[in-house]
Amino acid sequence: MFVSWSANIVCALLPRFRLATAARGRSELLRAPVAIAPEPGGAQQVGEASPAAEAFGVHEGMRLGEALARCPQLLLLPGDPAGIADRWEGVLVALESVGAAVEPERPGLVYFDARGLLRLYGGGQSGVLSAARRALGQPARFGVAPTRFAALAAAHRARVRRPAIIAGGNRQAGEFLASQPVTLLRERAELAQLPEALERLGISTLGELAQLSAAAVADRFGTVGLRAHELARGGDAPLRPRAPSVVVRESVELPEASCGFQLERALQLLIDRLLARADRRGRSFRSVALSAVLVERGGTWREQVTFREALSDPVRMRLALAPRLALIPAPAQVLRLAVERFGPPVAQARGMLEEPADARRDRLREAVRQTRAAAGAEAALRVLTVDPGSRLPERRAVLTPFEA
Amino acid sequence: MSVPRRAAVCAGDSGRPLTVDGREVDTVRESWLIEDRWWSERPVRRRYWEVVTVCGRDEVVFHDLIGGRWWRQR
Repeated sequence: MFVSWSANIVCALLPRFRLATAARGRSELLRAPVAIAPEPGGAQQVGEASPAAEAFGVHEGMRLGEALARCPQLLLLPGDPAGIADRWEGVLVALESVGAAVEPERPGLVYFDARGLLRLYGGGQSGVLSAARRALGQPARFGVAPTRFAALAAAHRARVRRPAIIAGGNRQAGEFLASQPVTLLRERAELAQLPEALERLGISTLGELAQLSAAAVADRFGTVGLRAHELARGGDAPLRPRAPSVVVRESVELPEASCGFQLERALQLLIDRLLARADRRGRSFRSVALSAVLVERGGTWREQVTFREALSDPVRMRLALAPRLALIPAPAQVLRLAVERFGPPVAQARGMLEEPADARRDRLREAVRQTRAAAGAEAALRVLTVDPGSRLPERRAVLTPFEA
Repeated sequence: MSVPRRAAVCAGDSGRPLTVDGREVDTVRESWLIEDRWWSERPVRRRYWEVVTVCGRDEVVFHDLIGGRWWRQR
């Protein structure tokens, strides 16, 4: 039986997901005042903070100097961006495995529309939430509401075993939000700076913000203010679920801590391997994530790179990615390259008139394809110089898939 | 590439190869020692020999001074 359920946006909140991942199971660490350290070369702001640190007024996005002034005993934990991304992808895939079309907001916060799942799990919201809870396999707070922001606010009020559900439409969502603190706006990256300014003006709840006229808010805070005003009144943009896709990732272990020239060679190897993957199905790459496991206490580094146009040309990809290697803060022992978003198939990106060089390349590509079909994936390989100065001959060059 | 492969080498008391895969060594062209990665858990210590056998083949073999085996490498 289909049950009408106007509150259909589910928010799954995994509290302090990034901090817990960076702590790597050292739960005793999370009981101390601890926060994620600023990224090397990035803004000097702390990341997620433990409850003990929050008791001192430290919160995510706070300037490092202010955080240390508020809490001198604050411990700073190196972030684990690659580990967080991997673990978060696992969470999203787990939710997608129960049929949820997810929209990830940030690691630890994800939304999905429950309407399509109601019949699948007994026609009721409890069935959907139970399925999601089972899929996650870790404590999560669930909030259900007509909009994403209201669902997020509900999730903050929920307990692990007791979801918070805001029934009704946008009006009811607005009524629920009225008593919520404006600090909730920090959950939206573009509004993160707003709560502090609002509190200085004596506006501490979303209800007080909603009572102001839109014109007055726009006059003082511009577009950002209007956005917050809309959220406070129970409005929000519709859900934009991501397209589920297969994770295509390659990694290479660097036997010794590597930097500079060796890293560039390793990157070239990764690009070649990614382009040779059968599950790419001829598609170009729109966005990729380059990550590294660092020698320094096993920390990680991660950088997402979106190309100006979808690429399948290894030379252009290398030109775009190689400068990022200089940002790695310490020698790396593992380098990884993963596809974040695919572009159109290569065939669609061709020009109208084939040039002779393109025709030759096509013939070569076809020859390689046929050779691989007949003799296996490793039938066409190319010698890639990795470390030409190495005293160990087996480390000077490797064989890599040939990409015509 | 250049992956070491096992070789059957008989060596004299000084460590100089006398035969490689049953072929007698005519000349030793060069010999050198490599010590690397001594700071890691898998240090490398190799005594390389570039030799010419009586049938005219140029071979590069090395004695793994840690494992004790002989290997061929190009």
